[in-house]
Amino acid sequence: MATISTQFVEELEHYGVDTTMDCFNCGTCAAICPLIYEHFPRRMIRYAQLGARERILEQANDLWHCLHCGLCTLTCPRQADPGELILGLRRLVVAEWRRADHV
Amino acid sequence: MSDKNQREQDRSQPGAAPRVGVYICHCGGNISDHVDVEKVCSDLAQTPGVEITRHNMFMCSDPGQELIMEDVKSGKVDRVVVASCAPSLHETTFRNALIRAGANPYIYEHANIREQVSWVHHGAAATAKATRLVAAAAAKAARLQPLEPIRVPAEPHAVIIGGGVAGLKAAAELAGRGIAVTLVEKSPFLGGHTAQWDHLAPTGEAAREVVAELAAAALSNPLVSIITSAEVTALEGYVGQFTLTVTRRPPAASDLPEQLPTAAVGAGAPGTFVPGHGILPAPLPEESETRRIKTGVVILATGFRPYTPKRGEYGYGEWEQVVTLPELIRILAEQQQQPPPEPVLTVNGRAVRRIALIHCVGSRQIPGIHEERPDGTLNQYCSRTCCTALLHAANEIRQRFPAVHVIDCYRDIRTYGRGQEELYTQAGRNRVLFLRFEAEDAPVVETAPPGSESPLQVRVKDTLTFGEEVQAPVDLVVLGVGMEPGPIPELIEMMKLPIGEDRFLQEVHPKLRPVELAKAGLLLAGTCQSPMDVGEACSAAASAAVKAAAILGRGLVELDPFVAQVDPNRCRGTGLCLEACLNDGALELVSCERAGEAGRRAQVNPALCLGCGACVAVCPEGAIQVNGWTLDQFEAMVDAIVADQQAA
Repeated sequence: MATISTQFVEELEHYGVDTTMDCFNCGTCAAICPLIYEHFPRRMIRYAQLGARERILEQANDLWHCLHCGLCTLTCPRQADPGELILGLRRLVVAEWRRADHV
Repeated sequence: MSDKNQREQDRSQPGAAPRVGVYICHCGGNISDHVDVEKVCSDLAQTPGVEITRHNMFMCSDPGQELIMEDVKSGKVDRVVVASCAPSLHETTFRNALIRAGANPYIYEHANIREQVSWVHHGAAATAKATRLVAAAAAKAARLQPLEPIRVPAEPHAVIIGGGVAGLKAAAELAGRGIAVTLVEKSPFLGGHTAQWDHLAPTGEAAREVVAELAAAALSNPLVSIITSAEVTALEGYVGQFTLTVTRRPPAASDLPEQLPTAAVGAGAPGTFVPGHGILPAPLPEESETRRIKTGVVILATGFRPYTPKRGEYGYGEWEQVVTLPELIRILAEQQQQPPPEPVLTVNGRAVRRIALIHCVGSRQIPGIHEERPDGTLNQYCSRTCCTALLHAANEIRQRFPAVHVIDCYRDIRTYGRGQEELYTQAGRNRVLFLRFEAEDAPVVETAPPGSESPLQVRVKDTLTFGEEVQAPVDLVVLGVGMEPGPIPELIEMMKLPIGEDRFLQEVHPKLRPVELAKAGLLLAGTCQSPMDVGEACSAAASAAVKAAAILGRGLVELDPFVAQVDPNRCRGTGLCLEACLNDGALELVSCERAGEAGRRAQVNPALCLGCGACVAVCPEGAIQVNGWTLDQFEAMVDAIVADQQAA
């Protein structure tokens, strides 16, 4: 069970993301994403909203599937910039790995 | 059969025999695709008493109506039958055509050969049934007499029950049209629930100011008199001539605030605003008193009450950290009155850092999922206003107390009006976290595990996270309670008010007659009818005021003449009709002289008679008939339906 951490969104700002909560979970990003992969990137964005850090770290490899094509950002109806959010999550994950001596 | 018809006609019509015109509508094929309209015409032409038969593609069209009017004006016919759609659609249309032709509108009979024939039967059977129905209508038409509508004088006065925003708005609107108003309010205060709120969604204007403005508009008009701490305890009469009994009682101490502004009570300073209660327009009554008020119309503005969660519903009543939205609004308003140095939200002496809001509490209940009330009912309706009010509160919290996080648990977001969807967008910008649950997997509120920084936690099976269960520690849970109809069982019983499946008062028709009740002269304003926001309640109240003014404006009220009539020569005064009568006061026994001796006979009060015919059935003398539906008319119709010759 994921535990909600409402402070997580503020932490993400340090990694260059301030649009996390603009997303209203419509799924357009997942529909347009050429990867057609497991609700990507919507699921990751949702975990970011919830502050479900463990889920993001468990599934972190998914973040590197992204081709950074920009289609999701182009089509997002709320200008939540999903592409940038994925990049921000990569930065967060790398920082976590560094802290944990993974890298 | 035709001989019998002729004999009866000659007996009941000593003058010239009536000349019936029969007009049959094709309804653009709706009827004529299945009914041989020309055959019905030619069969009816053979019927005694029928002078003319005509058919038209659309009888309700201007040329169709002209056909009828020409024949009436030229004197060819003096009774009219139109065979077309249901009478609820066009009976009034054709009665009005007769008025325009200078004739009495009650020499008209309607036959429904669309819903009752062409839409449900086909081929020869359809034509045969249509012929019989039209023949029956023609037989009745030959026995119709011109009638006059019942005219009753209208008292130029309205009583409004309820002094919330709807009652105040209706009072001000009616008085503005020159109609005297008495507003009866149960509590000592005006403003209803709105006066207990702080800021109104979606505009954020102060509720207190809205109430003050509405109350000032009503109180400042000398045509408005207000009776607070009072209830309507009896209703007699009919539209135009109601008499209400109003009982005023000293309020119970529990209904009063701890500190009532004594100056206002003692000196009777009107219009003092008492926070959390409303406007005190008059000193409190010290003794009970009863008065009777004559009035032309009654507007019901009895309002709603917020749903009270059951004990244990989302932990309500078990933990002090679980509150309803109205309670949160008071908490927020009180914070405003005693601002702390730092923007910290304090509830029950504890700083709050995370709040969960839960939507649809006591609304949109589903059989099999939600627990029924003791009477077996559920609140299956959407209360409409709570989504917007919750989002408004969420935004207010995020803006006034940026350190407080808000989690919004919803089933569906229904922000339906102008300026309301913006609150949802704004909530996203304010970083409100939305979780969506299904009715059968409602959020669980429970004690937080040991070591948690918050006393409670909320668990939600979140469909936005693909059905994963998520949990959040929270310091406060706010229940978005819906609206229930105000508790007015006495009024419902006394006035025989119709209520819908949702237990709110029910109008005659939601679109065509949206503020009228079936009983003429009773009107609806505001949330006694359905959940509404303040703006909608004011709109409804203005509609009710316009309708009331339209009823009272002519000085008299016209009612349909289809009421019982007593033949004084036949009536022996048995009183059986009074026992059968369904509407108190519609029939009474009056003294009369019969063959030189004092006796009694029945007398009808036409304004109260429902025209149901219960009295007709029980009279042993056949001395009472319903105008427009007399027994000989019924017999003629039955004869026409069973006649052999029309078996086609």
